[in-house]
Amino acid sequence: MFKRLLLLGLVSGILAAAAALIYQKIYFKSNEIDFSAIIKPVNVLLVCILAGLLASVGYGLLTKWLPKAGEIIFNFVFVIVTFASIVGPIGFRLPLSYENPELFPGLTVPMHFFPALAWFTVKPLFIKK
Amino acid sequence: MKKLIISMATLLAITAVFAFTVLAQNWTITNKYNIQFSSNDVGGIFKTFTGSIAFDETNLAASKFDVTIDVNSINTGNGLQNKHAKSAEWFDAAKYPAIKFTSTKIVKAGAAYQVTGNLQIHGVTKEFTIPFTFKKAGAGATFNGSFTINRSDFKIGKPGGEVAEQIKVEVAVPVTKG
Repeated sequence: MFKRLLLLGLVSGILAAAAALIYQKIYFKSNEIDFSAIIKPVNVLLVCILAGLLASVGYGLLTKWLPKAGEIIFNFVFVIVTFASIVGPIGFRLPLSYENPELFPGLTVPMHFFPALAWFTVKPLFIKK
Repeated sequence: MKKLIISMATLLAITAVFAFTVLAQNWTITNKYNIQFSSNDVGGIFKTFTGSIAFDETNLAASKFDVTIDVNSINTGNGLQNKHAKSAEWFDAAKYPAIKFTSTKIVKAGAAYQVTGNLQIHGVTKEFTIPFTFKKAGAGATFNGSFTINRSDFKIGKPGGEVAEQIKVEVAVPVTKG
């Protein structure tokens, strides 16, 4: 079970990073801007994998401690944490050399939902009831 | 004959004064300027700065600054803060799109200078003195100034609150002869 959970975290993290990087490319092209010096692809990959692994660990612990209600509690917590995390990019101050800081949340806020989306999407492949 | 001499002398005097005025060097503002502001928790730049500068270290009486900052070019590094700064509560950029400064007097102050003039922000015009230095480098030069503005003097934002009353402004304006 533990190995499956770690694999779930890793795979969902890689998928979320891939989605984030594709979205980033499309966003840069359509808006003619480039925040890649701030949102580095390596950091996107590492953060997504970390988020996936943390979610797996959290899921594993909660379902172990609370076999009946653990899963629903985890789902709520994961979604609430994901929503709360968007405060970060909205309040982020870019270096003053960037012309259009108002476009920054449009890039980063959706990215914050990708780890949760990827984790919930691939979870049935790794955890079968 | 006497009248003719007086007329000629007056004309000569006017011409001399006019020539003296023209002698102040005109400077063209390059695009490498930096208009920066900061306080305890906010800071940013104005990206658009235009105007005319006539400055001669040896002829301060003929020197003149007439510059404008585009309020809509404010950049704090955060989109929401930019929008907030341009709103009616702060700069009200829709109603007052420019910050203007027109000099009335320039004096030497030690190794530096002081320019006094009318500063217009947020529709409020006040006499304001800005200390500055002037450094020549080849065909160009740079004006540097650092001063503090009390935002409440110009009715910017509500008095008190999270943003400090005193806003530090730093100006660096490279110029070329022109």
